[in-house]
Amino acid sequence: MVGSDVELSDEAELSLLETLDHVLNKGLVIAGEITISVADVDLIFLSLNVLVSSVEKANEVLRERARGNLAELKSSHDTAESQ
Amino acid sequence: MESSKPNSRETPNRTDGTGYYVYCIADSLAAQEIVQGPVPNAIEENVALELITRNSLTAVVSVVPLSEFGEDALESRLADATWTAIHAMRHEQVVEHFASRTSVVPLRFGTIYLDSAGIEQMLGENEKKLSEIVERLRGRVEWGVNIYCNRQTLMDNITNLSPRLRQMREEAKEASPGQAYLLQKKIETQRADEAKVEIARAVDDIEQVLNQHSDGSTKLRILKVETTEHGELKAKFAFLVLKAEFESFRDAAEELAQTMEQSGIRIELTGPWPAYNFASD
Repeated sequence: MVGSDVELSDEAELSLLETLDHVLNKGLVIAGEITISVADVDLIFLSLNVLVSSVEKANEVLRERARGNLAELKSSHDTAESQ
Repeated sequence: MESSKPNSRETPNRTDGTGYYVYCIADSLAAQEIVQGPVPNAIEENVALELITRNSLTAVVSVVPLSEFGEDALESRLADATWTAIHAMRHEQVVEHFASRTSVVPLRFGTIYLDSAGIEQMLGENEKKLSEIVERLRGRVEWGVNIYCNRQTLMDNITNLSPRLRQMREEAKEASPGQAYLLQKKIETQRADEAKVEIARAVDDIEQVLNQHSDGSTKLRILKVETTEHGELKAKFAFLVLKAEFESFRDAAEELAQTMEQSGIRIELTGPWPAYNFASD
């Protein structure tokens, strides 16, 4: 993701919110046998705003995000969520 | 294709066994080629991505335990923001991986089928529509444009440039204390009004100019009032941009940013994203 000349902390937080916005809110809604309802999505957002304002948790997720790097992904399979 | 739930062959309330989480839909040949190389983790750890193909369309999926992704279980998981954020990120990683290599229809987070037959049926029933979306998005990515306004800079700029405000200030100087007070109130209101107009005009300009370098745009809702060192987030757009056109899109955005900088307007690009905002018909 490109965040032009934003500072790192901002960029990270922004990118997290932006990503969650895309994934949770957009994308084709197709009739799965189990699908998150629209009401759920709004609830998720309420809690995510709290999440993002909490630096510690945001960092935890961002480390997860950093694992998006493919080279890392292959080797560090089970580090992040094991606590 | 909207979300009425099909008659399930099995009840979705099941909490035992597994289901299939669907990330995105792609052209079958392209998807098969992509999985020859390394692919990212699935939404659940230690699970591999799989492809479910029907004719020309392939769904990128992975097995998920219904103890977590079953209807009731999922609802309570979603209340855990950390769980949701981490899983949403993993969804994104998979979609990005495929989207950066071929044209995909990104699905919204949380689309789950109980068995592969349900996915094949969905691909078959929606083949025409899905193929159209795949073709419409081919060679294109989504760029986010965030528009921020530094209120202080904008206000200062308006005060210096607005003839109406300059005149009011002159009047205030020569007025009696009582009148000056009232005039000062009027000046504040006038400044706020002009600021609003100025922001709206900047947002319109940005949308129009960037539209000329894109294949479509949509204005997005703002999640929360974000105030950063660059000011307050005033508008968000998503643009569908042909990859080959990105240079001209970025140049246009940079030119706008330079022009607007002195009035406190800042433009930020995010992306490239899978075309989430352009995936619906």
